[in-house]
Amino acid sequence: MIELRGVEVTAGEFALRDASMIVPDGQYGVIVGTAGAGKTTLLEAIAGIRVPRAGTVMLGDRNVTTLAPEDRGVGMVYQHDYLFPHLDAGDNVRYGAASETASREAAALTGVESLLGRDVRTLSGGERQLVSLARALATQPRFLLLDEPFVALDPPRRAATRRMVRTLQRERGITVLHVTHDVAEGALLGDVIAVLDAGRVLQSGTAPAVFARPASPRVAELLGAENVIAGKASATSDGLVAITAGALTIFAVADDVMQRGEGGPRTVSTSGPVHAVVRADEIVLSRSPSPTSARNSFSATITAIGAGVALRRIELDVSGTPLVAIVTASAVADLQLSVGSHITASFKATAVHIC
Amino acid sequence: MGASLLLLFLAGPTALLVARGGSAGIRGVFSDGELRGALTITALTATTATLLAVVLGTPLAWALARRRMRGAALIDAILDLPLLIPHPVAGIALLIAFGRDSPLGGALLALGVRVVSSPLGIVCAMIFVAAPLYVSAAREAIARVEPRFEAVARTLGDSAWRSFRRVTLPLASRGLLAGAVVTWARAVSEFGAIVILAYQPRVASVLAYDRFTSAGLRGALPVAAALVLFALVPLIVLRALSASGARAPRRADAA
Repeated sequence: MIELRGVEVTAGEFALRDASMIVPDGQYGVIVGTAGAGKTTLLEAIAGIRVPRAGTVMLGDRNVTTLAPEDRGVGMVYQHDYLFPHLDAGDNVRYGAASETASREAAALTGVESLLGRDVRTLSGGERQLVSLARALATQPRFLLLDEPFVALDPPRRAATRRMVRTLQRERGITVLHVTHDVAEGALLGDVIAVLDAGRVLQSGTAPAVFARPASPRVAELLGAENVIAGKASATSDGLVAITAGALTIFAVADDVMQRGEGGPRTVSTSGPVHAVVRADEIVLSRSPSPTSARNSFSATITAIGAGVALRRIELDVSGTPLVAIVTASAVADLQLSVGSHITASFKATAVHIC
Repeated sequence: MGASLLLLFLAGPTALLVARGGSAGIRGVFSDGELRGALTITALTATTATLLAVVLGTPLAWALARRRMRGAALIDAILDLPLLIPHPVAGIALLIAFGRDSPLGGALLALGVRVVSSPLGIVCAMIFVAAPLYVSAAREAIARVEPRFEAVARTLGDSAWRSFRRVTLPLASRGLLAGAVVTWARAVSEFGAIVILAYQPRVASVLAYDRFTSAGLRGALPVAAALVLFALVPLIVLRALSASGARAPRRADAA
C-alpha cells in the first residue's frame, strides 16, 4: 500500500498541500494532472527525495516519512530518464540491481538487451526511457513510481511497455503509482486514480468511480469530460433535477452522489448553481426526433467534425450551448453527417452527473 | 586589437623571463642545490596544501552547492576574505594565530608541532590563500551536476555518501580537477603570507626574492625562470588529463 496522509511539501516556490490518497497493495494507481500540478513533487515525497514538512507517508505498514530513500524499497523512473552519463547503458541497468540475474531479466523485459553496451548519450529518447525503466526494475522494488515514463516511446512500443509493466505489476504484486497527463493512459492502467491540480489532490478513489462522478467541474475538465455545462438546478415534480443553462434544460437524476477522496460520499445540492457533466460518448445522434427512453433530446446543428479513423468528434450547437459527441466513423457515413446539418442529440438523465 | 595587446602584456614579460633565464634555470635545477631544495619543498608543500584543500573543501563545496544552509552568506564572506586581504597581512594574521606567543601556537609547540618557520607553516599559508579558490571551483562544478542524478542513485540503494562518490564525483571531476590545478598553481606562486609565517625553509618564490635582494636581477633570473617552468609543466599535464577525462565514459565501480 502507498498512502499519503495530509502531506505537505515545499519545493522552491511550489507547495504540495494536504495531499491524501491510497493505492492499495498490489494495485496500479494513477495520478492525473496538468504540467506544474505537483505530480513529480508528490512522487519524490513518496520516494524520500523530498521530506514533507507535514503529514505522513506510509509504504506497506511502515511509516517512512523520514526514512532515507535507499531504505524504502522504492523504484523511481523520471520522465527525463536521468541515466548516468558517465556509465554505459549496461552499467546503468546494473547500478542498483538486486543481482546480475535481476539486471538481465529487467533488460529482457524492457527489450534493451541489445543496447547494454552503448554509451547512453547515443540512445534515442525512447531507448533512454526503457533503459531507465530497466534500471528501476532491476532493483526488484516493492513499490514502483513512474513519472510520465512512456512519453518518449513510439505508439507501438508505448502500448507494449504499458502491457509489460501492467503484467509485471500483477504477477509480482508490485504497488505502482504512475503519473501522467494523458487521461486515456490513466483510464487504461489505473485501478485507482487521483486528480492533482495546483498542488492539491482534488479527488481520489477507484478509477470507475472517479471517472463516473467527478467531484467538481475542474476535476471533470482534468479527466477530459467534454461537456461541462454551468446552470441552475431545481427539483421537478417527477423526482428529477432540471438544470437550466441558457435556452437549454437538462434533466438529471436527483439522488446523484459523488465521491471525495478526503470527505467520503456526500450528497450534491440539487438546487442553485451547479454543473452538469455529460461524457461525449453518452450522447446519441439521430437524423429525426424519434421517441426513446432518453430524457434529454435536443435539436442541434453540427459545427465541426473532427478527423479520426474509428471515432469522430462531432461539435454541436444546441440553442447557443456547445456540446461535443463522439460517434463511430461509420455512424458519420450512415447518418450522412456534415457541418451545418441539423440532427437530434439525445442522452439519458442517468448519463448526467451533477457537480 | 585591445585583446591582443592585453594578451601580449600578460604573456610577454613571462616569455621574456623564460627566454632570458630558462636555460640557466634548467641548468640550475641540476647544479644549484639550494634551488633544487626550494623547488622540492615548494612541490611538496603545494601538493600537501592542495590535497588538504580538496579533502576539507569538497564536503563544504557540496554543502554550499546542494543545501540551503543557515549562515551561507557568512561562509561566503569567510571564503572571500583571504582573496581580498593583502597576502602579507594574511601572513601576519597567521603569525598572530600560530606564533609561539599565541595560545594555539604555544600549545602546538608544547606538543612538538612547530608552525612558524616550518614546512607546516608553509602549508598553512598556502591553504589560507589558495583553498577558497578550490571551494569556489568545486562548488560550481557540483552545482552543475543535476541533483536528481543523486536522487535517482538514492532510490537505487545508495547512501548519500555513496551516491556522491559514484555519481556526483565522476560527473563533477573535470571541474574539481580544474579547481585543484588552480589551487596548486596559486599555492606554488604564493609569497606574501609565506615570507611572514615561514621564511625558512625557503620555497622557490622566497628564494627568488632572496636572490634578487642579495644578487640583483642577474642572480634572481635563473630561479624565477625555473619557477615559471616548474609551475607550467604540471598545469599543462593536468589540463590535458582533465580534457581526456571528460571524453571517456567511466565504468561503474564495484557495487
